[in-house]
Amino acid sequence: MTILVQIPPVLRYECGGARELAVAAATVRAALLQLKRDYPDLYRNVCDETGAVRRHVNLFVNNSFLYQRDGLDTELVSGDVLHIMPAVSGG
Amino acid sequence: MADRVVLCIGTKKGLFVAEGAKARGRFELRGPFGSGVAVYAALIDNRRSPRLYASSCNAFFGMKVLRSTDLGRKFKETKAAPTFPEGDGRALANIWSLETGGDSRDLLCGVEPASLFRSDNGGDSWEMVPGISQHQHSRDWQPGNGGLCLHTILRDGNRIHLGISTGGHYLSEDGGETFTAANQGVGAGFVPDPYPEFGQCVHKIAGHKDAPGRLYMQNHGGWAEWDGPGGPRPGIGVLRSDDHGKTWYSIADGLPSDFGFPIAVHPHNPDVVYVIPAEPMTRACPQGKPAVWRSENGGGKWKRLDRGMPKKDSYFTVLRDALTVDELKSPALYFGTTTGQLWIGRDGGEQWDCLFDSLPPIHCVKAAVV
Repeated sequence: MTILVQIPPVLRYECGGARELAVAAATVRAALLQLKRDYPDLYRNVCDETGAVRRHVNLFVNNSFLYQRDGLDTELVSGDVLHIMPAVSGG
Repeated sequence: MADRVVLCIGTKKGLFVAEGAKARGRFELRGPFGSGVAVYAALIDNRRSPRLYASSCNAFFGMKVLRSTDLGRKFKETKAAPTFPEGDGRALANIWSLETGGDSRDLLCGVEPASLFRSDNGGDSWEMVPGISQHQHSRDWQPGNGGLCLHTILRDGNRIHLGISTGGHYLSEDGGETFTAANQGVGAGFVPDPYPEFGQCVHKIAGHKDAPGRLYMQNHGGWAEWDGPGGPRPGIGVLRSDDHGKTWYSIADGLPSDFGFPIAVHPHNPDVVYVIPAEPMTRACPQGKPAVWRSENGGGKWKRLDRGMPKKDSYFTVLRDALTVDELKSPALYFGTTTGQLWIGRDGGEQWDCLFDSLPPIHCVKAAVV
């Protein structure tokens, strides 16, 4: 199934300026691994070298936080949108 | 002909570059570069045409290394930042030091969690140095308040000295293949054993190219009145070694506090060393009266240098990499504060003036004549 990954403006330069990417994946984890293969520079901004999503990055499936679903094992269906968002943090 | 002084100022909100004439009267400020992102390490690489490097510690999207080939008018990210190899299990949390390596393109990079990386192409790719990064002690090192960081890299031919907080001083005599803990005489106040083999909270180490056996260390002092297990540990904060760091002894006598973060050596005289003592509990200027202290005989006697500085009510901290000295014949010192002030001490620190008084909190300052 194909889902869309929405790219925040600050990371679009890591994937040729794309605002969104179509990815074939059945789970969020599989979607991230697809990004790792196709857009490794983008992936490194989202996940660290252990595969963990960076502390100040939030992922949403449609309007749901991942932690409200099943984390990286959240299942995806065609037409879902995976949003990559910088968290509200700073100082 | 080298006739400009360039300063790299790493702050909580990005990198600033200041440039002035050799007279060092006024400096023009550029930046911030990597805007909004903390910079803990900077390097002015003068081995060929000058290149400026800075770490950019992006809390959102991970670590970057910035590089400029036009004296800091613009910066670009290098193609890669250090990355732990797959399966290592550690993730890069910060970049604490950038230094030149063995040949004209080599760079060395100290990171958090404490590990060392090497680049042979100006920062476009990096390789972990296993001799220290996978050292048998590494899983026993503990983070200090700044994290578990490898913050000091000093090269002297095939010798490499590393400072790790809290790991201590490590020495390689084979170009970085293997490292040995070299901490005899380096005390620790936060463990029962006052002089452990390793695990000390070294804050900074400085040396001089004309006296390679001589090293100075600002260690985590402030334990003179400790009356818990192991008893008091006076004078462990400011140390000297005369045997390439194998043994160390205190040179803290005469200072108002043996606690502090930075330490620097005069560029033309290895007997002249500078520290900025801090009050151990607040990490700020003792009694609110800032001063740099200078010894002209390798730590035997100390003199307070504060002409031009505030006489009271100043409670800033100068962090480990925020003191530096340029290499002109009559060198100037520079230090940056956690309150965003950049100070210059002309004539070797005899006269102080505030160059910039409202920068973001300053993490590091580097100077070079280009």
